[in-house]
Amino acid sequence: MQWPSEMNTTKTLISSKISGQLGQYGLLVAFLLICVALAIISPKFLTVQNGLIIVTQVSINALLAFGVTFVIITGGIDLSIGSIVAVAGVVSASFAHPDSYPVIVPMLMGLLVGVAFGALNGWVITRSNVPPFIVTLGTMTIGRGLALILSKGRPVSNLSDEFNFLGGGKILGIPTLIIILLVAFAVCSVVLRKTVLGRYMYAVGGNEPASRASGINVSRVKMKVYVLAGGLAALAGILLTSRISTGQPNAGEGFELDAIAATIIGGTSTTGGTGTMTGTLIGALLIGVISNGLDLLNVSSYYQQVVMGVIIVGAVVLDSLKK
Amino acid sequence: MNLIKPFSTLALAALLAACNQTSSTNSETTAIEGKKLTVGATMLAMEHEFVVNVHDEMVKQAEKDGIELLTVDAERSALKQVEQVESFIGQNVDAIILNPAEVEACSPAVSKALAAGIPIINVNSETSAKPTAFVGSDDVEAGRIAMQHIADKLGGKGNVLMMEGYMGQAGQIKRAQGAQEVLKKYPGLKLMAQQTAGWDRAKAMELMENWIQSYGNQINAVFAHNDEMALGAVKALTDAGLKDKIMVVGIDAIADALQSMKKGTLDATVFQNAQQQGAQAVATAIKAAKKQPFEKEVLIPFELVTKENLNKYLK
Repeated sequence: MQWPSEMNTTKTLISSKISGQLGQYGLLVAFLLICVALAIISPKFLTVQNGLIIVTQVSINALLAFGVTFVIITGGIDLSIGSIVAVAGVVSASFAHPDSYPVIVPMLMGLLVGVAFGALNGWVITRSNVPPFIVTLGTMTIGRGLALILSKGRPVSNLSDEFNFLGGGKILGIPTLIIILLVAFAVCSVVLRKTVLGRYMYAVGGNEPASRASGINVSRVKMKVYVLAGGLAALAGILLTSRISTGQPNAGEGFELDAIAATIIGGTSTTGGTGTMTGTLIGALLIGVISNGLDLLNVSSYYQQVVMGVIIVGAVVLDSLKK
Repeated sequence: MNLIKPFSTLALAALLAACNQTSSTNSETTAIEGKKLTVGATMLAMEHEFVVNVHDEMVKQAEKDGIELLTVDAERSALKQVEQVESFIGQNVDAIILNPAEVEACSPAVSKALAAGIPIINVNSETSAKPTAFVGSDDVEAGRIAMQHIADKLGGKGNVLMMEGYMGQAGQIKRAQGAQEVLKKYPGLKLMAQQTAGWDRAKAMELMENWIQSYGNQINAVFAHNDEMALGAVKALTDAGLKDKIMVVGIDAIADALQSMKKGTLDATVFQNAQQQGAQAVATAIKAAKKQPFEKEVLIPFELVTKENLNKYLK
């Protein structure tokens, strides 16, 4: 199809919004069905306390998935986020010993690491023809190596109470992780839906040559997207470190796959151009609810993996039928 | 997405392989026909504190004996480990030290080394194929010691939860087996649930939070297959205000665990002597390479660490 570039962008934009909306309902139905089923089987499931625990446990993956959503909407992928979690965690922990620096220092240092990694990803991807899959696979390995080098392979512990409060504390009875999750969700949704950058993301993922022809600086959009993903991964790493009050060089292993799973379950197309933050949040919650429910029911570790896989595929199939 | 260019994949693979190999050499030379002995070591995962501790001691021992130690990291993959052993065989090293990732899947590595006439020493963990020598500790004993301590402290009555290691690894299978042996002796001790947290602190914390939801005040003790998981459980229990009522026991006696015991949060751990294992592995490898007599099985005993004898282990 040869549409004039501007029309094409608009058309992609409209269709993406519509399919995104429909997709969310299918997903929401699947999510609610699973919640109802778990509530019937386990009386421990549907309590305020357990709800708070699920959302707390989900928050790290959700933060990563928000970043991945930006990236996948532009048609890219980021495999390095799990390693960024580890490097940012180890770096922030190194600056978070009691009586060393004010708590803002470890936070900023951790975030800086994530932004730097994101910028490196973005720079290589926009300056070369190497697919993001390969570039971020490389930075994933670099990141893991750096985390091990910086920590000498050992957990960095003995962290200050102020730092441990970031991801482990409570404000008015609500875990800080949940508050941060909600704020991040609001900010990411606004960026995606209400800003020029957000609209450009859909355009670049929908039709890159057309976006370029219509005057969008594609490289700049991609750069920003990877920096956002790196920054969110670093935030997740800092919070995880704070929550378990130790910087672990092996933290975040496989997190990239959970985040990508949450994003895809949430209705973001792997080919780019469509997707919503709400979908991603529900996707992350779905994974968290299943994991929590299976633990509550004491399902054997062997079966847990099988059940998780079946439910993920089932949710996506149900979602696609709805479309 | 574009098709991956074969060239860049190759380049990447070469780059990664190059980064994977670290070598520690020493100026001293060992006299075996004037040639310096080379020992290849493949370690389960250089991101686990315990494995790092074993390796540190291997490096020290290698320096002391003036041999060259080539270390590669298997990153928990048995397949990778078999390939690494194959490349050691290709390099014609004098002996191989294998810190196996899995019981069955790493067995081909052992058979291949033996077929090539290169002595292979398993350290810390076993494979079903029999190596030239085994240096390590009997993990069944560790599980037994930990669960026996729980049984003693609870007076043989109570509800216990078991956090398991990475499913299918010798450490997980044997530590669980040892714990089960003790549980059988005490009908009053009930194992309410057992679940894996993959040796990982963050995962253990989540699992414990979920267990607190299911079992809450019924729990009397938690046995974790390693200290990392035990510390994750301690964190979740402390956050829930339950730590005072529930005892937690781990294995390995890593530095973090000892610090936690000093603070009075972790109740007990079982000391596995990483230093001895690393040193003995290298010493045995050298003896085997020089065709000197050596012990086929060097078992280093586990020791229970409690508040009472903690100071002995604190560095």
